Amino acid sequence: MDVEVRLFESLKKHLPEGGKVQLAEGSRVSDLLTALGISTDDVGILMINRMDGRFDQLIQNGDVVTLIPPIGGG
Amino acid sequence: MPFGYNGKILHVDLTREAWNVEEPDEKWYRTYMGGSNFISHYLLKELPVGIDPLSKENILVFACSVVTGAPLSGFNRYTIGAKSPLTGGFAETEAGGYWAPELKFAGFDAVIVRGRAPKPVYLWIKDGAVEIRDAAGLWGLDNWQTQEHLERELEDTRIRVVSIGPAGERLVRYACVQNDLEHYNGRTGMGAVMGSKNLKAIAVRGTQKLQMADPEKVKEIGRWHNERIKTHPPNVGLTKFGTTGLVKGINDGGFLPTRNFKEGVFEGADKLAAPAYHETIFHSNSTCWACAVRCKRRVELAHDKYPLDKRFGGAEYESLAALGSMLAIDNLPAVARGNQICNLQGLDVVSTGAVVAFAMECFENGILTEKDTDGRTLRYGDADAMIWLIEQIAARSGLGDVLALGVKRASEKIGRGAEQYAFHIKGQELAFHDGRGKTGMALGFALSPTGADHIETPHDVAFQGDGVSKLFPMGLFDPVEPLKTDAAKMRFFYIGQKAWGINNVLNLCNFVSVPIHAMTFGRLVEAVNAITGWDVSLYELVNAAERSNVMARVFNNREGFTPKDDTLISRWFEEMPSGPLKGKRIDPEVFRDLVQLYYDMSGWDAQGRPTRGKLVELGLYWLLEN
Repeated sequence: MDVEVRLFESLKKHLPEGGKVQLAEGSRVSDLLTALGISTDDVGILMINRMDGRFDQLIQNGDVVTLIPPIGGG
Repeated sequence: MPFGYNGKILHVDLTREAWNVEEPDEKWYRTYMGGSNFISHYLLKELPVGIDPLSKENILVFACSVVTGAPLSGFNRYTIGAKSPLTGGFAETEAGGYWAPELKFAGFDAVIVRGRAPKPVYLWIKDGAVEIRDAAGLWGLDNWQTQEHLERELEDTRIRVVSIGPAGERLVRYACVQNDLEHYNGRTGMGAVMGSKNLKAIAVRGTQKLQMADPEKVKEIGRWHNERIKTHPPNVGLTKFGTTGLVKGINDGGFLPTRNFKEGVFEGADKLAAPAYHETIFHSNSTCWACAVRCKRRVELAHDKYPLDKRFGGAEYESLAALGSMLAIDNLPAVARGNQICNLQGLDVVSTGAVVAFAMECFENGILTEKDTDGRTLRYGDADAMIWLIEQIAARSGLGDVLALGVKRASEKIGRGAEQYAFHIKGQELAFHDGRGKTGMALGFALSPTGADHIETPHDVAFQGDGVSKLFPMGLFDPVEPLKTDAAKMRFFYIGQKAWGINNVLNLCNFVSVPIHAMTFGRLVEAVNAITGWDVSLYELVNAAERSNVMARVFNNREGFTPKDDTLISRWFEEMPSGPLKGKRIDPEVFRDLVQLYYDMSGWDAQGRPTRGKLVELGLYWLLEN
């Protein structure tokens, strides 16, 4: 299945060609991060189809996943 | 019988050594709710214009909210406020920990302190009873010694204590107030106001239960919230690394304040950040009352020069920037040691780091010389110079006596062009977020009534792309561009400030609450109603947040602040010299136009004064004559 990823700030360097990743059915967000080479430690905001997501969440074909590093607060 | 709060405000007059209890009605509580609103209310009603903040005329307020002490993660904070000795304007500073719930369990929602004790005293509040007690044996002790002394004297190890260290006693203008040695009301110099009143500490012990209007509903929300905290990515990161996890992202983004805001990338950042922090000095997580996030760090290290004790609160993001990147120091044990000294002596580590950076840049440029420093050099990267200078400031010795005034006053006293390196807004040193990398945050620094303050609005970067959907419930639908300075950015700031203001008025921790962390807008409204028995709406909470901002603004205007004070530091109007943001700057003319746009949106006139219409809209009729 195809998943669209939107990456921001220092995560941009992990953007795949065409902004899409092919994953096996039954994959979770953690599998997507592994495929992109991104550690969960480097993710602050995770949105799936404009809703808050979880690292263990199952991904569906056509999902749009947004990742932003933790760079607010203090 | 109110739900969630006591309906009682404790008033203490230290000059007359007397106290009494005020019982405002439900309408008052529902209008003002807590935190900064309580503070503004008393300052505006009672404080004469133009008083010296360190005189006995100042009023010092410790304020919880109507929901503080409910058994929910993050509902544990309180705000301290007064007229600030740093800015001369409205002061507020929040902290978590255990003191605020304990005060509620002891029967009070806030404590208002007036006058000045003829000799050092502390307050002992236990289940509605109040004593003003001699603190002669406490004066001069650091915060840890004070805590130990009070536990012995009161024969109770379960007391909760707010106290000042020697820096507050000596009226360092950015002295802080602490509770439980891990939680700090850092900003705006409230430790100095306590010191000026000869008030060393307030110890509290409460055994009364707060009544919840719908206890089962509160429990259900608590279970949901705590489960979500375990899996919600922003909270997962905070539990694992605390705020130390921010250093890497902020440095990679190019806006980690470095060498006194000159640069945005620190070459030694990795040595300060997670995971290095956790592989070297980390001991364990710590937390605040009833909170499942556990973002606090305890640190421990056996080290000849820089020993670290787990009792005293570990360095967080702001401390790592303050004593690390701002001073170009990548020695983590030394930075954490500097933080520990600030904690024990009672210095705000943000202002302290900024002051030391100012002194180092003055020394680098020959404005300060070895004649000013007892023959010592003050160079960037010199960890021992940093620790020496912190101790000088706390003791008000030598150059430290001048630096204890804050960068604005110190630069005026030093002269010789020192002002060009003194970075502050409204007299308060900046927290460590370079506004060239998140311009909404810069607007927050400029427009905060307390002077440069990063707890004014959520940071732009989280709301890029679909991240903006976190603010859908507030009516913001367009993705935020961190580097833009345009009308859309001002709309983000205006709305974000309202969301953040809800947390400040209700004394909620931003690290559990809206819009980033595990609490949602809908469930927050449910929680307030389950606690209080009211039927508040999000609209009503936004109104309470706006009331807070408007009252603080009226206070500052009364004290002589003008639009000229709503400004930024000169370095942010200049191009970033290096890093990913190389060449980025904020255009001063565009910035001034945005400030005027903010006044327009807020219902303020061109001089930044809330209009008659705005005051009436918010029900602040009693301010019409100001």
